[in-house]
Amino acid sequence: MHSAVVHLQGSSLQVHLVSEGEATTTTVAEETTVTGEELVGEGETHAAVSKDPGPIVPEVKELAWGAGSFIVFALLMRFVLFPKVKKGMDARYNSIRSAHESADTERADARAEVAAYEAQLAAIKAESAKVVEAARATLESERQAKLAEVNAGIAERRAAATAQAEAARTAARDQIHAAVSDVAGRAGELATGRRPAAGVVERVVNEVMAR
Amino acid sequence: MIAEAFKFPEINSILRWQDLFTSFNKIALIAVLAAVIGSTIFILAGRKDAAVAPKGVRNLAETSVEFIENGIVMQTMGKDGMGWTPFLLSLFLFIYLCNVPGIIPFLQMPATARMAIPMFFALLVWVIYNGVGIKHQGIGGYLKSTLFPPGVPVFLYILVTPIEFISNILVRPFSLMVRLFANMLAGHILLVTFALLTQSLFTAETQKFLLKPMAVLPLFMLIFLTAFEVLVAFLQAYIFTILTAVYIGGSAHPEH
Amino acid sequence: MEAFSHLIAAFDQEQADADKAAAAAASAGFAYGLAAIGPGIGIGYLVGKSVEAMARQPEAAGMVRTTMFLGIAFTEALALIGFVVFILIGL
Repeated sequence: MHSAVVHLQGSSLQVHLVSEGEATTTTVAEETTVTGEELVGEGETHAAVSKDPGPIVPEVKELAWGAGSFIVFALLMRFVLFPKVKKGMDARYNSIRSAHESADTERADARAEVAAYEAQLAAIKAESAKVVEAARATLESERQAKLAEVNAGIAERRAAATAQAEAARTAARDQIHAAVSDVAGRAGELATGRRPAAGVVERVVNEVMAR
Repeated sequence: MIAEAFKFPEINSILRWQDLFTSFNKIALIAVLAAVIGSTIFILAGRKDAAVAPKGVRNLAETSVEFIENGIVMQTMGKDGMGWTPFLLSLFLFIYLCNVPGIIPFLQMPATARMAIPMFFALLVWVIYNGVGIKHQGIGGYLKSTLFPPGVPVFLYILVTPIEFISNILVRPFSLMVRLFANMLAGHILLVTFALLTQSLFTAETQKFLLKPMAVLPLFMLIFLTAFEVLVAFLQAYIFTILTAVYIGGSAHPEH
Repeated sequence: MEAFSHLIAAFDQEQADADKAAAAAASAGFAYGLAAIGPGIGIGYLVGKSVEAMARQPEAAGMVRTTMFLGIAFTEALALIGFVVFILIGL
């Protein structure tokens, strides 16, 4: 009569066949289940656990440590650490903002000063332009007066010269007339033998000279 | 055979950790470290001269404060919600500092990939937004504005009220919790998978000349996923915080 | 003979466990794959529309981005619940 005793030991299933007086040990089915222990070996920190608790079941110790450290952290942040950093940030932002504002007012002041200076400058420019204009007008009138005077002198002299030239021309013309009449009369006399009438010569000469 | 060489470990063996000492395991260590690092940043920032332009640690702290103020509080609650900044800031920093160890060598475990911390935060947020609603509108007003939204025909309340109850009271904390937990867990499992794949290809016993160079492929994927997890760690902290702000703002001012 | 019946029982148990594990793994894969379809389409549509909105009105980009992240968070929750189911029944 045999009876079998089955042991599950680690990863091997051992079957002892026991009869009267003798016992045979057979090892059946190696690696029936893979336990965590076997996979990771010694020295590792993996837990030697089977499938039992399931991978998504929360563990109380992890929950406690996580919750505890978060609560401490959150309280510390809320009441000590965050206000300090935030205060520093706010102070710096405020100082930057006030610096910006003062810079703005200074810029506005400077702008106003520049505007006043420009207004003054414009007034001075207008005044100087007026003076220059007046001086130019004076100069112009003087120049005109002088010019008129000189022009008058020139005209006078030109008139005198023209009159003189006219008189001279008239005189020369009369002489030429007389000479031409004379020459024409003589020529006529020599040609015809008789002296042409003074009126005829006169007319012919006038005609020729008028041409 | 690769199939024998690459055997994915039991899920608990990549998630559950032995106690370092009594009831203090790696998750607890990361949580405590997150609180300590967060506090240290702000302690150091508070010591520096606030008047000069911020540099280094102070710059980091001020950037995070402004990120919470401009990126979260102003976008969701407006000026009235400024009082919530310290709470949201510590929530954001704590979750971020719990997420980031998933890619830090030797820690290699996001504390939020275990259910405990997301569950605590989801319950905390649930208590807070319900409390804020009751404080601002009274218990009757709060229930009225959550369960009986205005502008709905009366006979539809039979349908609307249970839906509103489930979505506002039950689904919100649940989805808040599952979103953070599952994102970080998925990232952790992906990193483990590609790390193990790289290792098993690199230490292959058969067909060495074929398999060993192929280890480069999962290695590249591992590097890419590590970079991706940097983004995910930030994004999940941001989403958790902004949803918290939206819920609190919604119960403080129901008309929004 | 009794010993053999014990042995067979042990093997049967093992076989049943293996079958169960295989079925669980297969259904977990299906669960996650099915859960990923809807949120995948949803997030793609959502982000596409958000990019369109940002391109049309770049000055509203900040607001659109915040809302987009909120929408992604809500849509993604479905896929993540599928992932949790995958973890629960598969691994």
